[in-house]
Amino acid sequence: MIRYIIHRILQGIPLLFFISIILFLLMMNMGDPIATMGGRTTTRPADRERLKRQFGLDKPILVQYVYWLIGNDWTKIDLDGDGIAETKGQRHGILRGDFGYSLVNRGKPVLNVIGERLPNTLILMLAAELVIILGSLLVGVYSALHQYSFTDHFITTLSFIGYSMPIFFIALLSMYIFAVLFKRWGLPYLPTVGMFDPQIGKTTSQVLLHMILPVFSISAISLAAYSRYIRSTMLEVMNQDYIRTAKAKGLPKRQIIYIHALKNASLPIVTVIGLDLPLLLGGAVVTERIFAWPGMGRLFLDHVERADLPVVMGILMLISVAVVVFQILTDIVYAWLDPRIRYY
Amino acid sequence: MKSHQKWSHIIGIFLVIALFLAACAPKAPAKPKVATFIFTQEFDTLNPLYTNMWFSQITLQLWNGWAWNFDEKNEPVPYLVTELPSIENGGISADGKTITIKLRQDVKWSDGNPLTSDDFVFTYDMTMSPKNAVATTYPYDMLASLEAPDKYTVVMKFDEPFAPWQATFWKGILPAHILKPVFDKDGTIDNAEWNLKPTVGFGPYVFKEWESGSYARFVANPNYWGTKPKIDEIFIRFVPDDASQVNALQAGDGDLGTFIAYSDMPKLEQAGIKIVPAFSGYNEGMFFLISKERGNPAMLDARVRQAIAMGIDRESIVKNLLLGKTGVPASYWDALPFYNTPPQKNYPYDPETAKKLLDEAGWVDSNGDGVRDKDGVELNLKYGTTIREVRQDTQAVVQQDLAKIGIKVELLSYDSDVFFASYDQQGPAATGQLDIMEWSDTTNFPDPDYYYWYCDEIPSDENPQGANWQYLCDEELDGLFKLQTTQVNPDERQKTFQKINQIFHDKVYWLGLWQDPDMWAFGKRLSNYKISGVTPFFNIAEWDFNSAE
Repeated sequence: MIRYIIHRILQGIPLLFFISIILFLLMMNMGDPIATMGGRTTTRPADRERLKRQFGLDKPILVQYVYWLIGNDWTKIDLDGDGIAETKGQRHGILRGDFGYSLVNRGKPVLNVIGERLPNTLILMLAAELVIILGSLLVGVYSALHQYSFTDHFITTLSFIGYSMPIFFIALLSMYIFAVLFKRWGLPYLPTVGMFDPQIGKTTSQVLLHMILPVFSISAISLAAYSRYIRSTMLEVMNQDYIRTAKAKGLPKRQIIYIHALKNASLPIVTVIGLDLPLLLGGAVVTERIFAWPGMGRLFLDHVERADLPVVMGILMLISVAVVVFQILTDIVYAWLDPRIRYY
Repeated sequence: MKSHQKWSHIIGIFLVIALFLAACAPKAPAKPKVATFIFTQEFDTLNPLYTNMWFSQITLQLWNGWAWNFDEKNEPVPYLVTELPSIENGGISADGKTITIKLRQDVKWSDGNPLTSDDFVFTYDMTMSPKNAVATTYPYDMLASLEAPDKYTVVMKFDEPFAPWQATFWKGILPAHILKPVFDKDGTIDNAEWNLKPTVGFGPYVFKEWESGSYARFVANPNYWGTKPKIDEIFIRFVPDDASQVNALQAGDGDLGTFIAYSDMPKLEQAGIKIVPAFSGYNEGMFFLISKERGNPAMLDARVRQAIAMGIDRESIVKNLLLGKTGVPASYWDALPFYNTPPQKNYPYDPETAKKLLDEAGWVDSNGDGVRDKDGVELNLKYGTTIREVRQDTQAVVQQDLAKIGIKVELLSYDSDVFFASYDQQGPAATGQLDIMEWSDTTNFPDPDYYYWYCDEIPSDENPQGANWQYLCDEELDGLFKLQTTQVNPDERQKTFQKINQIFHDKVYWLGLWQDPDMWAFGKRLSNYKISGVTPFFNIAEWDFNSAE
């Protein structure tokens, strides 16, 4: 098993290298980071030229990639524009743990930019994922065991309504109802935006209160998809011979469902969750924007808009690494759930 | 004793203790006055040298500041200086090449150090140092030298008189005593901690904290040398979504909103929120590609451009898309009445005259396809702008209007970083791919100067950063634009702008679509506020809460 894990990790290295080249090339065509540096007016020509030189954007793409990968402290660069490279480069490259500095938040290392947002995203997304998994298990198992009952139909209808609604609609509608209208009607209301009320401060209860609407919005959509998936896999497993045998043996119903059926029905679900988990790091772009939640999704969007290559590459590489790692973890969980699976 | 009786006794004892403690508790201190401002964009950095971003620049007035502010009428008022230099008071030399500014002697940084001419010189040095990747070196690169003969005098010397000095210089000062050691050690201030955490400032408020993506806090500066601020804390919350901003303002989760969309104004006003426009010189308008080498040759003819001006019902665009909350600018200098004298008149909506002008210019529909043509070239124009919703709606209206006079318009829209990309980045506007370009722009407001129209700003392989995306070279206009930058006497400059304005009008080098003031929303709690289009928070220390709050 350990040999297998090491093997997979070694396989991941060239894969990540390949991904980084593709992403870098795509990013180079994303826009001009200097175009939006002029604020509400366009950047002045002389400043464009100087900034391009100072940021190294005047170099060929390959050279820029090499600097990003291994740094430029082994060479000299021209800062004053006299055509003579006189200043030693300062960058170490990502292979030496230097992701560079943000072009937007000038002077802030990329890892700090990402590090400040990651916890906020994890709080929100893990809470939402927990609600989704628990909720969909409850709904999915219940629907499977009570197939074609009124409740099954009712839940199915609700989940399809949730699934078909765009998230921005759910988010804005719930905000308008539970924050604006409830306050107007004198009912207990929820906050609109942010993580806390500045008059009270950033307390746990404030953060929890501010999480309710974003978590609800994210869950409303994914819960529908997950619960449908669990329902169908559970239905399939419940018709298997070994379940019939378990029933014939007279095992308690609870034991049949949760030990025999659900464990076997979990395999495909684990695959889906394994694929979804690393994407949680990317945050929920729309929800974070609407509820002004300071997470990774908004960070990504804000910095893509201004073509902040170091930060966007940092985020994309982080997600790429997470996908590779979570795939390995998923394989390990597979082996634990299904004793027939062995890795060599 | 029965169990429920026992429990009721215990609860009773707890209640008595709780009441006793509550009575003995010290009286709660008065709630601090915290005003929440909603910014739809987060500032990128707080160091004024490293940003041109509007939200960063306006925040400066809280904790740092300009040497002189501009009031609600956009008139200059001294802030760090004793008076504004002028020819009359000797602050500007007779030849206009030397400007002397006298600093107030009571201005202190929040850590108690005095603000002196050393800080001004340091700000200049840091801007011009090639080791610092500052956002712009303008206007400091116009200086021949900067001298500080004593602690409270700064002398600016130019090779040529520089008329736009008042609107461009000293927009934020760096603390030399904090940043000079950083520059000496690191060789740059690009990565200085102060850029993102400027704990030392000199404004009515002082920086407290900034949590990325979430909020920034500025608290009253205990060492402030001016009128003490009445509100204890300014809490800036970053809310990127416009609809969420509106909800937050309606729910009372924000006291101040920015860039309010015209369509949202009625419901905000209904909720008791006041909408205040601040004129910052911006006008949404069309720029035309006027080049022999690029674009449709029809655009070279002033009559075609006049026909476009008369063929678009701009009043209806303002009425229908912007709810009639603004107007149609007749001049690029519409928000600067002094330089728009006498005020220019707008071209009326007159499709019949527009058709006649096109006929006169030789553009007729000879092949019966509904589109005018001349010498085998169809009058088919490419019209590009950014993806902002109101712009796309405007494009659709313009397309319909111009179709009625026989001009076919192909609509194109781009993300702003693509649209505004430079010539060497293959920006569609910069490379002359668009016959009509639309965006909102101002001058060096409140100064009338702008450099878009110079002949030597036309982009090319040799000049890939050129800003004259109209590819227009009008020798007379070029000369007048260069002349006005050297006219430090306002009356002389006004006369030059009369000529420039007339050329713009007659030749339709630019066509205004709507005046684009900054729309601010003030919640019910706030009082005593004034707002400027240049330095919006110039009287922030006087802002207060209504007594009922």
